[in-house]
Amino acid sequence: MQTTLPNPASGYDRAAELQRVRRERLQTALIDLSVTLITILVALLIGFLVLLIVGKNPVVAFQALLTGPLSRINRTGRWLEDATTLIILGLSVAIPFKARQFSLGAEGQLYVGALVSTVIAIYVPLPPVLAILVPIACGMAAGFLLGLIPGAMKAYLNANEIVSTLMINAIIIRAYDYILTYILTAPGSQTVTSADVQVFSQLARWSDMLNLSLGRFNIGIVFALLLVAGVWLLLSRTPFGYEVRMIGSNEKFARYGGIDTKKVIMLSFAIGGAIAAVAGSHLALGVHRRLIPGISFGLAFEGIVVALLARNNPLLIPITGLFYSYLRVGGEIMETQASVGSEIVQVIQAVIILLITAQVLADWIKRRRARRVA
Amino acid sequence: MEEAFRVIFSAAFVAAVLRVSTPIVLPALGGLIAERAGVTNIALEGLMLIAACTGVLVSAYTKNAWLGLIAGVLLATLFSLLLAFFYLQLKADLILAAIALNILASGGTIFIVYLLINDKGSTASLVSGQMPFIDIPIIKDIPILGPILSGQNLLTYVMLIATGLVSVFLYHTRTGTHLRAVGENPDAARSVGINVKLQQYLALGLSGIFAGLGGIYLSMGYVKFFARDMTAGRGFIALAAVYLGAKQPVGTLIAGLAFGAADALSIQLGNLQVPTQIVQMIPYIATLVALVVYALVQRQRAVNRQRKFRQQQAASV
Repeated sequence: MQTTLPNPASGYDRAAELQRVRRERLQTALIDLSVTLITILVALLIGFLVLLIVGKNPVVAFQALLTGPLSRINRTGRWLEDATTLIILGLSVAIPFKARQFSLGAEGQLYVGALVSTVIAIYVPLPPVLAILVPIACGMAAGFLLGLIPGAMKAYLNANEIVSTLMINAIIIRAYDYILTYILTAPGSQTVTSADVQVFSQLARWSDMLNLSLGRFNIGIVFALLLVAGVWLLLSRTPFGYEVRMIGSNEKFARYGGIDTKKVIMLSFAIGGAIAAVAGSHLALGVHRRLIPGISFGLAFEGIVVALLARNNPLLIPITGLFYSYLRVGGEIMETQASVGSEIVQVIQAVIILLITAQVLADWIKRRRARRVA
Repeated sequence: MEEAFRVIFSAAFVAAVLRVSTPIVLPALGGLIAERAGVTNIALEGLMLIAACTGVLVSAYTKNAWLGLIAGVLLATLFSLLLAFFYLQLKADLILAAIALNILASGGTIFIVYLLINDKGSTASLVSGQMPFIDIPIIKDIPILGPILSGQNLLTYVMLIATGLVSVFLYHTRTGTHLRAVGENPDAARSVGINVKLQQYLALGLSGIFAGLGGIYLSMGYVKFFARDMTAGRGFIALAAVYLGAKQPVGTLIAGLAFGAADALSIQLGNLQVPTQIVQMIPYIATLVALVVYALVQRQRAVNRQRKFRQQQAASV
C-alpha cells in the first residue's frame, strides 16, 4: 500500500487537489438538489393535471394544499408535530439504507419504542429530566435489540430482510395491541387506551411555553435535531460511518478491504431501530401522552420517502421531513376546503418516489460526464 | 380447550380455511413466480387493491361481473408491468418502486372511489358483481367432504388448479426452466442466451395476473364491495407464504392454507374469549423460523456441493 501513495515531491499539489474535490462535491450537491426540486415540481404538476382531468378546480385545491399549513397557527403546530416524527423516522431509515439494506422494520421498532418508554413513564416514578431521558433511553435499547434480529438474520444467514422485517412488524403490532388491550387498559374502561404518562415524563408543549396555540407540537423537535447532528456525525465522522458507506457502495470490496461487513450490517439495522424507537417515544410521551391503538398507522413508510428525498443525507432530512409533512397536513386541509380527497397527496408521493429512484441512472450519467470533462 | 378442538375438526372450519386462504394463496403464487425469476415483488398488496377496486367499479357500472374480473386483472397486470418497466428499463430500485406502487394503489383507489360516489370508507352503496359459487355434482352429496370441497367460490377452485399449473410451468416447461435459471444466476443464464429482461417482464406480468385474481376474490367473492385498504396486509402475508413454502408451488399453497387456518382460528377463538392477537401471531413467527431454517439448509447444501466437488476432483486425480 505504501508505494502506491503519491509522492508529495513529484509535483503533487495537495491544495489544488483539495479544491478540485470540493468543487466536484459542490457540483454533485447542486445536481442532486436540482434533480430533487424538479422531481417535486413534476410530481405536483402531475397531481395538478389529475385534478384537472377529474373535473375538480385544481387552483382552489392547490391553494389549500400549498398555503394551508401556514394559514392558521394551530395548523402550523400540526405540521411541525408531524414533521418531528417524520424527521426521526427518516433518520432511522437512512442508516440501513446507506448500507443498502432494505430494512422495513421501523414500524415495529416505533411500536416497541412507544410501548417500552410509556410503560416506564407511567409506572416508574423518576425525578424531572430523568423522567424523560430514562424512558426514551429504554425505548431506544428495545428498538436496538429488535433491530438486531433482522440484522443478524441478514448478515449471518443471508435471510431476506424485507420479509423478516415485515414479519417482525406484524408480530410486534399484534403484541402491542394485546398488551395495550389486556394489560394496560384499566378494567372496565370504555375505550382501549393506557393511563396518561406521569407529568414529568410528558414532553413539554410549545403551546404552553410560548402561549401560542401550536397544538401538540412539543420539545420532541429538539431531540429530532440532536439526532440529526448525531446521525450526521456517526455517518460522516466515525469509522463505523465510513464502513457503512463503504458497504453501501460496494459490499464485496468493503469485505476485501478488511471490514467486518457482517457486524456492520447487523449494527446498521440495530442503530436504525434505536432511532425509530425515539419516534415512538415522541408519539407516546409528546403527542398523545399515553398509548392508543395503532399509534403509527404506516408512518414508517412515510419515513422512507423522507430519507429517499434526502438521498439518505442526514443534514437534508430535516428539510425533506418538513416538506413532506407540509404536503401531508396540506392534504388534510385541502380535503376539508376543496372536497378533494387528501389521497391525492399519496399519489404525488408515489410519483416522487418513482421519479427519484428512476433518476439514479440520470445521476450516474451526469457524474460520468463530469468526470470525463475533468 | 375441548371446544376449540371441536371447532378445528369441523367441516365448516376446513371450508372456512379454504375461503380465507384464497386471497393469500393466489397472490402468493404470483409472488412465487416473480421470486423464482429473481425479482421480489412486494407490490402484491397494491396490485390486489387495484384489481379489487377496478373489479367492483367496472362490474357496478357495466352490470357484468366478468367484465369486472377482466378489467381488474388487466389493470393489475399493467401496473405490474409498469413496475417491471421502471426496474428493468429505468433502472429504478425494485423495492422502492414497489413501495411507491403500493402507496399509489392505496391512495389512488380511495381517491377514485371518493370521486365517484363521495364515500371514502367503501363502495357499499354500489351494487357490484360477484364471482359464482359452484356446487360440484356428486361430490356435494358426500358427507364431510361435500361441504368442504363443494359450494366454494370459482376463484377458490382457480387457486387449487393454478397451484398445479404453476408447478407444471416452473418445472416442466422450457420457459419455466429459463425463468428459474434467471432467478438462480442471471449472468449464467445470459451467457447461454436466455433473455433475462424478457423473463423478468414475464414473471412480473404473471405475478400481476395472480395478484389481480386475489384482489378480485376479495371484493367480488369473499365480500361484494370494495373498502379502503381492504387487502389488510394480505399481499405481504402472501410474500411470507412464498418463503414459508420454501419457494415451491405446493409448499406455497400449504403455507398459504396455514396462514388462512390461523386467521380462521383467530376468528373462531375470538368467540371463545381467547385473544385473537396471540393466534394471529403464530404464522408470522413460523415464517421467521422458516426463513432461518431455509437459510441454514441452503448453506448446508452449498457446503455439501463443495465437498462433493472436492471429492470428485480428488478421485479424478
